[in-house]
Amino acid sequence: MAENDDYTYDYEYLFKIVLIGDSGVGKSNLLSRFTRNEFNLESRSTIGVEFATRTVEIDGKRVKAQIWDTAGQERYRAITSAYYRGAVGALLVYDISKSESYENVSKWLKELKENADENIVIELVGNKSDLDHLRAVPTDEAKQFSVENQLLFTEASALNAENVDLSFQQLLKSIHDMVSKHQFDMTDYSGPKPSGGPTISLTPTPGNEQSKNKSNCC
Amino acid sequence: MKVVGASFSHLGLGNSDKSSSSVNLPSTSNSIKSSKPKIKPIGRNSSFKIESPSSTPRHSDQYTDLDDDWDADVGQGLSSTESQPKFLQSKPSRSFDYPSLSKSNHKRSESGVKKHVDGIIKDPANSLYTLYGPNITQEDKSIKEIEELNAIVSKFNRFKAIIQDQNINLVSLRKMAWNGIPSELRPISWQLLLGYLPTNSDRRVTQLSKKRQEYLGGISQVFNDNKEPATWHQIEIDIPRTNPHIKLYNYECTQRSLERILYLWAVRHPASGYVQGINDLATPFFQTFLSSYVESDIDIETFDPKVLPKQVLDAVEADTFWCLTKLLDGIQDNYIHAQPGIIRQVNTLKDLINRIDSSLYTHLENESIEFIQFSFRWMNCLLMREISVKNTIRMWDTYLSETNGFSEFHIYVCAAFLVKWSDELKAMDFQEIMMFLQNPPTKTWTEKDIELLLSEAFIWQSLYKNASAHLRA
Ligand SMILES: Nc1nc2c(ncn2[C@@H]2O[C@H](COP(=O)(O)OP(=O)(O)O)[C@@H](O)[C@H]2O)c(=O)[nH]1
Ligand SMILES: [Mg+2]
Repeated sequence: MAENDDYTYDYEYLFKIVLIGDSGVGKSNLLSRFTRNEFNLESRSTIGVEFATRTVEIDGKRVKAQIWDTAGQERYRAITSAYYRGAVGALLVYDISKSESYENVSKWLKELKENADENIVIELVGNKSDLDHLRAVPTDEAKQFSVENQLLFTEASALNAENVDLSFQQLLKSIHDMVSKHQFDMTDYSGPKPSGGPTISLTPTPGNEQSKNKSNCC
Repeated sequence: MKVVGASFSHLGLGNSDKSSSSVNLPSTSNSIKSSKPKIKPIGRNSSFKIESPSSTPRHSDQYTDLDDDWDADVGQGLSSTESQPKFLQSKPSRSFDYPSLSKSNHKRSESGVKKHVDGIIKDPANSLYTLYGPNITQEDKSIKEIEELNAIVSKFNRFKAIIQDQNINLVSLRKMAWNGIPSELRPISWQLLLGYLPTNSDRRVTQLSKKRQEYLGGISQVFNDNKEPATWHQIEIDIPRTNPHIKLYNYECTQRSLERILYLWAVRHPASGYVQGINDLATPFFQTFLSSYVESDIDIETFDPKVLPKQVLDAVEADTFWCLTKLLDGIQDNYIHAQPGIIRQVNTLKDLINRIDSSLYTHLENESIEFIQFSFRWMNCLLMREISVKNTIRMWDTYLSETNGFSEFHIYVCAAFLVKWSDELKAMDFQEIMMFLQNPPTKTWTEKDIELLLSEAFIWQSLYKNASAHLRA
């Protein structure tokens, strides 16, 4: 975990991502699959928010994804929506075997509109693609919806790992593209700029400049 | 800050409790080995004797040759208490040693279910008459271990003395329970401390049977109506995610019980409804109450409750429901809209850390760590995601003895919990801190660690309670 010493960083971009969607659709397992290559059929429910990171290479640049996994239950919305601020990407997950989790997608989009930055890149992920025999949401329908709402789209399975890396990579690439084209409001960015190029340092809440402090500590 | 050895004499935390019974030690550990795997209390002149607690003088001279005299002892015990349920007036069908320290001399059913469950259902105090001491296995013990063992036996006797009273003195029980309740006496003690079980033994049988019926009535009512789909769905997906690493919670029978408990509670408490994490809070009760009906050498965490008679399961379920209800009554604000109780607790914690360990506080601030990011779950699940169920159960002995254990004392426990890692945390950056606190190294924690945590929390509370109260106001 000691990824940074005082002056050098092993990543050039730090992107804050949120994982949202109904409870039980597999957000936490998508995250553990992506960050630790683990899947747990009997994991515990997420309370509030959990945090994990992984650094990947995008277009030859090292990008660190700082991912905030949220509890899906309505009651936690007040707490979790605070984490949307400053996020540059969101994975909005539903369960392909549960139509209700898909029907709630528009509710989640509305949540993002109300609480997240305007330019946030959103990817719709139909999880549990391994449960094709129980499929309740046709791929085409979700794909069509994504086009209409300018969302990225994949179906994935945290269980068999299919498309999990791909879905995160796709999101990170799209954010990277936007950053390269300077479509994000750069005034929010702060932090050191190792080895050139803009470093997006997005903090858990606005106003905090977490990365700046890294060089001060120790 | 280490507080080992600090004196909390008013709470009996220290070991200077002069009124406690004592067991004299034999001069060598050899003599223990030769005396069968049990401490056999014999006459006063023996080198190895048990003096019973001063609060129950009637027992003090009855422990000679207990293999023969047990029945007489029960008789005496009974005659000194006016109202005893019928069940008790018949002799126990087997003979016991007092205290029973060995599995080998203890005849038990194959299933692990106790023989006298009918009596225990009616009044958990009935279990006292089939409990002769804490369940301890005694093999080659050193003097020090024997000493500890004797302390356990005498503690057990003191608890038993309090609980056997016709009118139980809750103040005494609370004082004793703060330091941990012997597991065999925990079910009844918790129910007393929560105010679920009447302290007056005359009222218990009717009160309990009324509450169990009320529960069953509630269940048949809410499950006859159309289920509230969102609530039911949430509970259904959380049940398999409840303590999935413990076998007890993988059994169908356990899962269906918890499901009913949670759903009824949710329907009856529409302001909060079911909130994720409440499922965790039901489990210490379930597991503890279940243990009343199961032989004490059985590991309840691997026990399949389906072998229990239905009326036992119904009783465990109802008791769990009511006690969970009592607990949640005290922390309602944690689960209503916007969870203001938790926000308040998180702020109090932050404030406390600033006072207790300002360098840690400053470090967290410099790293842009917000207290809510790591302590929300601590409050929402009462540290049950950080601490094993077994250790949580020990912690609740103390919480139930405190005036506002779950809403206030808990914050001091969280403060002690955080400060425990102060040195490590101060060497970490944002990400490392988040990862560390999400998965703190508590897997190997034992009761000793919990007790240290509790005594540290106690100190913080006595130092800062009023200060933080005025801050909140
Ligand atoms: N078949 C299948 N089950 C999954 C998959 N991902 C998650 N699950 C299961 O779905 C349940 C909920 O998963 P979890 O990650 O806790 O969902 P969350 O509430 O969205 O975080 C768990 O029992 C998982 O084992 C998947 O890709 N396929
Ligand atoms: Mg989750």
